[in-house]
Amino acid sequence: MTAEAPPAQAHLPLPPTLSGRRLLTMAAVLAGATAVAMAICTLFGQADLSWAVVELRLGRLVAAALVGAALASGGMALQAMLRNPLAEPYLLGISSGAGVGVLLGMALVGGGTWMAGLGRGGMAFVGAAVTCVAVYLIAQRRGRLDGYSLILSGVIVNAFNTAVMLAINLYVNPYRIAEFARWVMGEVPETCTRGQLLLAAVCVVGGWSVLFCRSAWFNAMGLGDEVAQSAGVRVARLRGETFVVVSLMAAAAVALAGPIGFLGLIVPHIVRLLLPADHRVLILASGFFGAMFLMAVDTACNAVAPYVQVAVIPVGIVTALMGGPFFLVLLRRRM
Amino acid sequence: MNDDPDNMPADAPDATACEQPAEELHRDLAMEGRDLAFTYPDGTQALRGVSVEGRAGRLVCLLGPNGSGKTTLLRCLMGRLHAQRGQVLLDGDPLKLYSARDRARRLAYVPQQPDVAFAMNVQEIILTGRLVHTGMLGLAGRKDVDVAREAMRMTDTLTFAARRLDELSGGEAQRVMIARALAQQPNVCLLDEPTSHLDIRHQLRIYELMQRVAHDWPMAVICISHDVNLAARFADELILMRDGQVVAAGPPTQAATRDILAEVYDVEIDLIDTGEAVPTIRAR
Repeated sequence: MTAEAPPAQAHLPLPPTLSGRRLLTMAAVLAGATAVAMAICTLFGQADLSWAVVELRLGRLVAAALVGAALASGGMALQAMLRNPLAEPYLLGISSGAGVGVLLGMALVGGGTWMAGLGRGGMAFVGAAVTCVAVYLIAQRRGRLDGYSLILSGVIVNAFNTAVMLAINLYVNPYRIAEFARWVMGEVPETCTRGQLLLAAVCVVGGWSVLFCRSAWFNAMGLGDEVAQSAGVRVARLRGETFVVVSLMAAAAVALAGPIGFLGLIVPHIVRLLLPADHRVLILASGFFGAMFLMAVDTACNAVAPYVQVAVIPVGIVTALMGGPFFLVLLRRRM
Repeated sequence: MNDDPDNMPADAPDATACEQPAEELHRDLAMEGRDLAFTYPDGTQALRGVSVEGRAGRLVCLLGPNGSGKTTLLRCLMGRLHAQRGQVLLDGDPLKLYSARDRARRLAYVPQQPDVAFAMNVQEIILTGRLVHTGMLGLAGRKDVDVAREAMRMTDTLTFAARRLDELSGGEAQRVMIARALAQQPNVCLLDEPTSHLDIRHQLRIYELMQRVAHDWPMAVICISHDVNLAARFADELILMRDGQVVAAGPPTQAATRDILAEVYDVEIDLIDTGEAVPTIRAR
C-alpha cells in the first residue's frame, strides 16, 4: 500500500490571518475607547468643572489606568507563560512583599531612618522587589525557571510574608495599624505627584511593550515547552524575561495603589471571552481593558460612597468582592 | 548559516531515495548522532553509545521496549538534552553551535499528543511554525500563508483551518501538529510516538503521512514507534534499541527478524507471512 495524494483542496479559503494593519486599527480603537472612558469618568457626577477639579480628577484616573493596565496585561502574560489560567501578578509574592515593606517603613518611621524617606510607595516597591528576587532565587534551578516551582515558591513566600507582617504588627503603633489596614485594601490615591505618575508610566508602558513584543512566543508556549522550543522560542529566557517584567509592572502598581486583588485575573479572562485566542491581540487588548475597568470601578466607588454612608470605598475591596466568586466559577468550569 | 527557505515540494518527483550513489547519500545526511551516551543525574545510563543517521527522503523508526532510551535519544537529537559523550550533527554542523532560530529552521518536532493550553484555531497553530521565518510579532505574510496552506494540503487538514484544536479528533489533531512542524520547512522532523493515542485507522494514516512527507518533501523523518508492524511496513530503516544500545539497524526485512525482535522485546515472536514484503509480527 503506497501513500495516496490527498484530494486537491488548494483553493479552499483560509480564515484571515492577523495583519499589522488589523493590530494597529485595534490599538487605535482601544486607545480611543480608553480616552473616551477617561473623559466620561472625569466628568461623571462633577458639578464643578473648574480646571483645578478636573486636573485632580484626571491625575487620579491616570493612576487608576496605569494600575489597571499593569495588572491586566501582566496577568495575561503570566497566564500564557505558566500555561495556567489561574495565574495573576500577585501570585509572584508581590502584594505581600509590598505589605512587608510598608509595615516595616511604619515600624521604623519614628527612628528617622532612610526608609522613612522613601515614603509608603517607595517602601512598597522595595518590599515587592526584594520578594520577587527571593521568589526567583527559590524557583530557579541553574538559571532556568520552571512553571510549577514558580507558582509554589510564590505561594510559599506569600505565606511567609503574611507571618512576617503579623510579627511586625506587634511593634507598630496601634494607630498606624489602622492606616496599614487601609493600605492593604488597595485604593487609587487621591493625589499623586507628577514624578510618581511618570515613574509608574515608564514601568507600565515599557513593560507592556516588552510583553507585546513577546506575544507571538506566548502563542507558541501554548503548545508546550518542547514544541515551543522546537519552533525557535528560547523558553527559559522567555520565562525569566516575563518574570522580571511582570514583577516590575506589578511592583509599580502596588507602590501606586496598594494591593488591588483579582484584577489581574478577572480582566484577562473577560478579554479571553471577548477576543480570539491570539496573545498578540490579547496582551494588547488586556492593557486597555484593565485601564478602562479600574477607572470605571473607581468612579463607581466614588459615586456610590455617599449612599452607603462611607467617605471612600477602596476599589480593592470591590475588585476582591467581584474576584472571589469569579475565581470560583472559573475553577468549577475547569474541573 | 544560510537559510534555505525554498525547499517546498512544489513539484517534487516521486523519488525513492533508496537507490542513490554513495556520495549523494552522504550529502543527504541531514541529521547524525554519533556514539551518543547520556546518563541522567540519578545515575541511570539511558544511552550507552548510540549512533543514528537521518537522511533526506528516508523514514527511520526507533523501536524498543519502554526504558530502552528512545525518548532520551530523541531529546538529544532535538537539543533538549546534551549528550555527555558523542556528537549530534545537523546538516553537517554540531547542533549546539546553532542558534535557537537557525535550529528551528532545520529541525522540527511533533509531540506524543497535542497539548494546547489556549483555544487557538488550527491555522494559528500551524502558523506558529512560521515564527522563525517572520518578524518579532510573527505576522504572517503571503508566503507564510502559502507555506502553511501547502503543509495543510499535505496533511489533509485544510478543511478545519478555522476550527479549534480541541474540537478535532485525536488523529486530526495529530495531523495538525505534523502540519505545524512542516510549516517550519525543516530538513529533519522528529516525532515522539505520534500514534500512541490513536485508533488503528488513524495510526495507519499517520504512518502513511510520515512516509509521504519523508519521500515527497523530501525530508529526514525520525520517529519513535511502539508498533512493530506499522514501523516495519512503512519505514525505510528500523533502529531497534535495548538498554541504551542499538541491537540492530537497517531495512525492515533485515532488522525485524524473529531473533532480533525476540532479543529486543524479550518475548517469543511469530512471523506470519501475509504475502507482503514484510511479514506480520506477533508476540507469542
